[in-house]
Amino acid sequence: MDRRTANLAIASTVMTALAKATAPATAEEEMEQCYGISKAGQNDCASTGDTTCAGTSKVDYDKNAWKYVAKGTCEKITVKLPDGSTRTGSLVPAKS
Amino acid sequence: MGTDASQRAFARALTDPDAALPPGVIGSAARFNIHRNNIIASLTALLASRFPVIRRLVGDDFFRAATGTFIARHPPQSPVLVEFGGAFAVFLAAFEPAASLPYLTDIARMEWARHAAYHAADVAPADLSSIARLDHDRMSLLRFTMHPSAAIVASPFPILSIWRTNSFDAEVRPIALDAGSETVLIVRPHLEVITASLSAGSDIFITALATGATLGDAALAAADHDPAFDLAATLAVLFRKQAFAAIIPSTI
Repeated sequence: MDRRTANLAIASTVMTALAKATAPATAEEEMEQCYGISKAGQNDCASTGDTTCAGTSKVDYDKNAWKYVAKGTCEKITVKLPDGSTRTGSLVPAKS
Repeated sequence: MGTDASQRAFARALTDPDAALPPGVIGSAARFNIHRNNIIASLTALLASRFPVIRRLVGDDFFRAATGTFIARHPPQSPVLVEFGGAFAVFLAAFEPAASLPYLTDIARMEWARHAAYHAADVAPADLSSIARLDHDRMSLLRFTMHPSAAIVASPFPILSIWRTNSFDAEVRPIALDAGSETVLIVRPHLEVITASLSAGSDIFITALATGATLGDAALAAADHDPAFDLAATLAVLFRKQAFAAIIPSTI
């Protein structure tokens, strides 16, 4: 492909992309927009403004290993190990 | 003890519950503990608001334990707390208790990019209508300035799928990690932070564009790196999501 042909191929790709970009949004993108709006109210003041009285004299964080057991949604995400076996994302305390 | 040394001792004791009462503090240790715990509680709440998906993935106890360690090792370096937490992704990558969740660090990079985009400079996105009028022969010589809020996160894991279900579903959908790699665009052209999926290799393409490469050279670099790179699809997403601040035609 000579230089001029390559240039015209790029130009045609750009025009295709422009046409796609200005076409009506797909359902997935519409959904994304709604999510965007629902998330827009987040700001730092809202999330930190109510914590000024959160402290107590109790030592707030200890280093117990049980806290390192993940109990969240990571269990729904399946890890495939290099040897081909799978396991879920639940964490166990690090053994030493 | 001089002012600098006593301030350093005070600062160190703020993130270490085992540290002795810093010199010069009047009153009981309980009083100082209240102050210290207020700081830890504020910074923990801040990280929870910045990394909600990480928190949901690992649960509250793990999140508090991990952020407690992070705060002690990486206390705020700036009085501007908007800047706090940028090191969390790198911290998680090396955090041994999280080693069995290898995708966490990329999710954290994504969440930080969304936070940074939210606080990035307001800049009007580029006007695309000028492109159609350009000489087609010279289109491969176009250069682009990325929008200041734009960021790309490429991962070997399906990070956008993980992020989406944890952000928007009451009950998360099961995801297999070998579902494949995902590359994510984050940008805020107007008021909302937008998160969109990009084709493989687009991170190479965008990094090349951002460092001043022409459209043609950036496309070649991305295709060399990843044969699956799709220029039309990538440009369509970048145009539609308004990820460019300026489009600069060739002057030669």
